[in-house]
Amino acid sequence: MSTSEHHAARRGDGIRPRGRAAACTALALAASVCGATARAQLPPDPAGTIEPLPPASPHWVWVNDVAFFAFPDGRAFLVDGDSGKMLGMLSTGYSFTGVVAPKARGLIYSPESYFSRGTRGTRTDVVTIYDATRLVPVAEIEIPPKRASLMPMPGAQALTDDDRFLLIYNYTPAQSLTVVDTRSRKFVGEIEIAGCALVYPTGPRTFFSICGDGALLVTTLTDEGKVARSARTAAFIDVLNDPLTEKGVRRGDTWLFASFEGVLRPLRSTPTGVEVDPTWPLFTPLELTQHWRTGGLQHLAVHGGSGRLFAIVHQGGPETHKDLGEQIWVYDLVSHRRVQTIAMRNKVGSIQVSQDPQPLLFACSLENNRLDIYDATSGKYLRSVDPLGLTPTVLVTP
Amino acid sequence: MKRGAADVAGFGVACVCMAMPLWAEQPVVLTSAAQANYMLNCMGCHLPDGSGAAGKVPSVRDSLVTLSSSAAGRRFLVQVPGASQSPLTDLELAQVLNWMVRNLSARAVPADFIDFTAAEVASHRRPPLVKVRETRASLLESAPDQIAR
Amino acid sequence: MPGMRSSIDARVERLARDVAQRVSRRSFIGGIGALMFGAASVPLLPVARGESPADPGDPQTCEYWRHCAIDGFLCACCGGSAHSCPPGTEPSAITWVGTCHNPADGHDYIISYNDCCGKSECGRCLCNRNEDDKPLYMPFKSNDYNWCAGSKVGISYHCSTARIVGIAK
Repeated sequence: MSTSEHHAARRGDGIRPRGRAAACTALALAASVCGATARAQLPPDPAGTIEPLPPASPHWVWVNDVAFFAFPDGRAFLVDGDSGKMLGMLSTGYSFTGVVAPKARGLIYSPESYFSRGTRGTRTDVVTIYDATRLVPVAEIEIPPKRASLMPMPGAQALTDDDRFLLIYNYTPAQSLTVVDTRSRKFVGEIEIAGCALVYPTGPRTFFSICGDGALLVTTLTDEGKVARSARTAAFIDVLNDPLTEKGVRRGDTWLFASFEGVLRPLRSTPTGVEVDPTWPLFTPLELTQHWRTGGLQHLAVHGGSGRLFAIVHQGGPETHKDLGEQIWVYDLVSHRRVQTIAMRNKVGSIQVSQDPQPLLFACSLENNRLDIYDATSGKYLRSVDPLGLTPTVLVTP
Repeated sequence: MKRGAADVAGFGVACVCMAMPLWAEQPVVLTSAAQANYMLNCMGCHLPDGSGAAGKVPSVRDSLVTLSSSAAGRRFLVQVPGASQSPLTDLELAQVLNWMVRNLSARAVPADFIDFTAAEVASHRRPPLVKVRETRASLLESAPDQIAR
Repeated sequence: MPGMRSSIDARVERLARDVAQRVSRRSFIGGIGALMFGAASVPLLPVARGESPADPGDPQTCEYWRHCAIDGFLCACCGGSAHSCPPGTEPSAITWVGTCHNPADGHDYIISYNDCCGKSECGRCLCNRNEDDKPLYMPFKSNDYNWCAGSKVGISYHCSTARIVGIAK
């Protein structure tokens, strides 16, 4: 058997059946030729081989890991949902919140913080740009060392819809957004958003932050990454009695946020700003008397194509809005009705759904270093990646 | 700080508590409502003496008197998000601001200082201010008595 | 919206509801593992650990009355105490402040949850209770921030204390 065929077989590349049959035949021949004492002898492996990533698949997921008991050692794991294999990882520094994947594949942006002596010394914050096909850093953009250190949230960092500007939420405790131009790969400025937090893109250069009075601050950037326009909506969130969680998900032009008590609020972007659409309840009055509520760190996911919303639910009292759950309730975004219940094998706090027509549902929790994978349509459990990471947090499908 | 009666008799902690003085029953001193509200809503960032943290949280010690002596400055004190977006009622916020001016100022409070009222707070409180840094800087720069920012 | 109720009254109401102080899974230091307890089932007993009968309970436990809204590793398990930092760590003056009910004297104390910073996480006695926690856009009520951000040594979080600063009621 030729050496190249042998190597190809070991790599698991797609060998056409005929090639594989030829390889097997060749081996058999070689064995018979060498006689009774013949045993297949494996040739040595080449030194210094680095496994390439397979071609990208919509069933890949980034599992961000804040490394709860070892904050300096944040990581992001790339997993293939179909094979259940860990494909690789990134080492991403202190109090890591998550990677950002632009629509144009090929790169990964990762806001990171480092101390010159691990946990002390000079702090440097950077946006590391990784080559997404080789998982190596290819560039670094230094940013003000103010990146918010908090419970990982998708809203902690985001790209504008045109992928041009990366926005990072800062908290010192002064609140601001760092703006990075991904084209020039430079820090272009800081936007003060006093009294408001996080960043949710809604258009090519527009995004909103959520303010402590229950309003949204909607900002649009110029071509230079400066503020072109900034406007505040009327206050609509009941901040004292039933605030919206920060854990929104997006379908097209609409962001969907659940409140502590399970009221779903759609926020729809328009050319002029953000429209606050009417709420609808995730729980019927009966279910509320049974204390059903949403809970978790990343408790919502949405499949855009089929218009389905997935929510982690549990039964618990007030102030358990971050508790883990063992069920996923699936809602139709047109009828607002629950259409499916998916039982989880393990308690989970984070879910994500791939956006292809045969989607996978990914689930994990801070309390277990494992990723569970389900068929998002049937709800059938498929496989787990176990162990994975230290304390997985936010799931991102590239 | 340890406080309250140490009833040594009858507890095995007697030996451990040897070093602790035997306090007589002390009357409880309630924190005044305004100070308690300052503690719960403001002290976390502005600190017990209002000094904040350089570069992160501005000190209020030198600016409170200046800002509360002009209409624009008073509006700022009510509109800054920490005040505006706090869960305090308009009256409670007025009382906290008055407490702050009287207790946290490094400078003497002028005799003609006008107390904040609920009505004044209500009229300026919303919408909250977003451009805090720039507004504060310009107010303090243009103040007749220039002070360090 | 601000202005519906006095913050103190609201807090007292919630405390009255929540005498059996539960653990809930919120905040920056999330609910890792089963944490340290059979939680709410453990009665609050004075323990011979140097706390007086007026300050009952064990500061190395989640059920200690001052920990009603704490979120993190308890400094008492890490070489510090309920109110002091372990050696070589730096107290963060900037923090969030809550109110907890002391069952021994019936008062509601104002508790400042100052973090100790500058080293990696202590890793012991993770305790996660969040009464009246709010989302990140209400920072003064949110446990989800790493409050070491305001410390002189930066965001390296080690453990959390629960310091009495006043009496609300």
